[in-house]
Amino acid sequence: MKKTLLATVLLGAVAQTALAADVVKIALTGPFSGGSAPMGTSMRDGAKLAISEINLAGGIKVGSKKMKIEIVERDDEGKNERGALIAQELAAMDDLSGVIGTVNTGIALSGDKHLQEKGITKIITPAAGSASMTQWANKADKPGVKELSIFRFAAHDGIQSAMVVEHAINQKFSKVAILHDATNYGVSGRDDLLDQIKKQGNKLEVVATEKFNIGDKDMTAQLLRAKAGGAQAILIWGIGPELAAVSNGMAKNEMKIPLVGGWTLSMSNYIDNAGKNGDGTLMPQTFIEEAITPRAKSFIDGYHKAYNVTRIPSPVSAAQGYDAVYIFAAAVEQAQSENTGKIKLALEDLKKPVHGVITTWQHPFSTWNPANVESHEAFRRSDTVMGMISEGHVVFANQADRARLIKNASK
Amino acid sequence: MNTQIIAQMVVSGALMGLVYALIAYGFQLTYATSKSINFGQGELVMLSAFFSLTLLNFGAPYWLMIIGGLLFGAALGLLVERAAVRLALQQKSEGWILLSIILGLLGFSAAENIWGRDDRPFPTPISADALHVFGINITPLEISVAIGVFAVMGLVELFKRKTLLGKAFEAVAADRDAAELMGISATRTIMLSYGLSGMVAAMAGILIAPITTVGPTMASALILKAFAVAVVAGLDSGFGVVLIGIFLGALESLTSFYVGSGWREAPGLILLILALAVRPNGVFGKAAIVKV
Repeated sequence: MKKTLLATVLLGAVAQTALAADVVKIALTGPFSGGSAPMGTSMRDGAKLAISEINLAGGIKVGSKKMKIEIVERDDEGKNERGALIAQELAAMDDLSGVIGTVNTGIALSGDKHLQEKGITKIITPAAGSASMTQWANKADKPGVKELSIFRFAAHDGIQSAMVVEHAINQKFSKVAILHDATNYGVSGRDDLLDQIKKQGNKLEVVATEKFNIGDKDMTAQLLRAKAGGAQAILIWGIGPELAAVSNGMAKNEMKIPLVGGWTLSMSNYIDNAGKNGDGTLMPQTFIEEAITPRAKSFIDGYHKAYNVTRIPSPVSAAQGYDAVYIFAAAVEQAQSENTGKIKLALEDLKKPVHGVITTWQHPFSTWNPANVESHEAFRRSDTVMGMISEGHVVFANQADRARLIKNASK
Repeated sequence: MNTQIIAQMVVSGALMGLVYALIAYGFQLTYATSKSINFGQGELVMLSAFFSLTLLNFGAPYWLMIIGGLLFGAALGLLVERAAVRLALQQKSEGWILLSIILGLLGFSAAENIWGRDDRPFPTPISADALHVFGINITPLEISVAIGVFAVMGLVELFKRKTLLGKAFEAVAADRDAAELMGISATRTIMLSYGLSGMVAAMAGILIAPITTVGPTMASALILKAFAVAVVAGLDSGFGVVLIGIFLGALESLTSFYVGSGWREAPGLILLILALAVRPNGVFGKAAIVKV
């Protein structure tokens, strides 16, 4: 009995190694629990949807055979120290083809160095904090890295803060308040906003710059400082639960001024906890959960059906997770290998367009240039639209954007 | 404009302060009878809120949810007494400190596994639309918190003064040995105080949940403040916790307004240090004569 058991185990091990050669192993990481969970789980589920589609079709064509994608899933709980541990674990896997994920900028800062050291290809999505990429770029006191295996597939905060500031200027506001949380994401968002205000001609006077902590529920002091300064809009960088506390606090203090901020304002835990107070909130989005194109329709329906929901917790994360997998798969096919180094080179020079749900991606990345982080950033301003909350859903804030996307898709 | 802002800040802060006071009151109840406190009190607040939310999700009416939540809190309080406090007190050890912390951690993990780590909204029939009272914006929801806090504390105080069981409670608090000689069971009275303390924690959870949302970490910030309030006020002054609670809450608001939002937590900590250095028995505490 014991012998047969041992034999079965051994056989199983042999069979696995034999199988291992025919799979592309991708790690999906992110917070699947905690305050950032709507983004983490949506990203993971969007990515899994794409992976199951690819596997159902037989896999990625490499040479004469088709390779299926195997998933390694890790929950970093949105905690920097956990993220760093997971990155170390992944860096130690010698058969890993790549990593997709990370929601929290702090985790990209604490963990990605382990992957970069081993040259493991990673596509960051949907973490948007600028610092995740600029940490590798040239700085005043030291040059950036020469080779980089980290890519980003999200509208980074540079783009988002530009849009937020642009919106405030277009509305002819002259006084704004900036609110942000005390995390890496919030602080870097504040810096981006201040930077953009300067870049766009100093037309906005910042009457208050206020900070809040994760877990804070009473925002009265911060809001009253904004109110006392005469702010005409609140520009904000934070995550769901605290954003909701701000929105509810604004309602209580009768501040009927616009709340505009990072894309995290589309998180379900913001929308649900703010309730009707959240209506009218504006944020940059890369994907709106509306079936305006056939591809968007099949993605949204597929997601709803696969996960038995009527609303994607974070549509942006889900769509980015989905498209990131297709881009990664295209790189594997072009490289004709599951080797992470070869995939990286292919990603930097993708020949064929990739038809995603957000847009059709033409050459999204190029060879890393430490003087220009955009070389490893996929999103440009034109891939991003302004979203607005209306009755518990994120819709297009400008109908012109909606029309433009429909037109682009039909081309 | 300026006085209006100050008034608004004081009122908003004071309302939060009342919740600190209610949790601090829970510390006092058990300290009075047993000279021990439950360091996992925050988890009691959180678990009761989760339990009440589950009742609501099962379609229980609001009044039934409150009763259910309070009974659940009382049961948890009794559990803490049985599992963490009784043996330690019998052995005259300080083991209850560690044991109650451990029970709290267990409760935290249980909540994460049963209900998940997400913050969830807590439905309430009370409106969150602002009313104007002398130029100050205040929501009915906030007023309900204040009413709830005073109602619970008032009821418990009435119980202590007017009922036989309550008098036993006071007797044990005044002098445990003498009370036992009069035929009052100290063990039962301590059980009673833990049950009451759990109930007070549950009430705090139900009152604050619509404002803070419900999640495993909902009480972690509150509990530190409550502890500061209990220590600063003195562990035997019910009247003191209300005053200090209101004072600390208002001070926090004003500090974050005038000094900066990053300094919000500072006054509580400074008050705690000052109280420990200057009046270790609390501002409203009675100096104890310790026989050596």
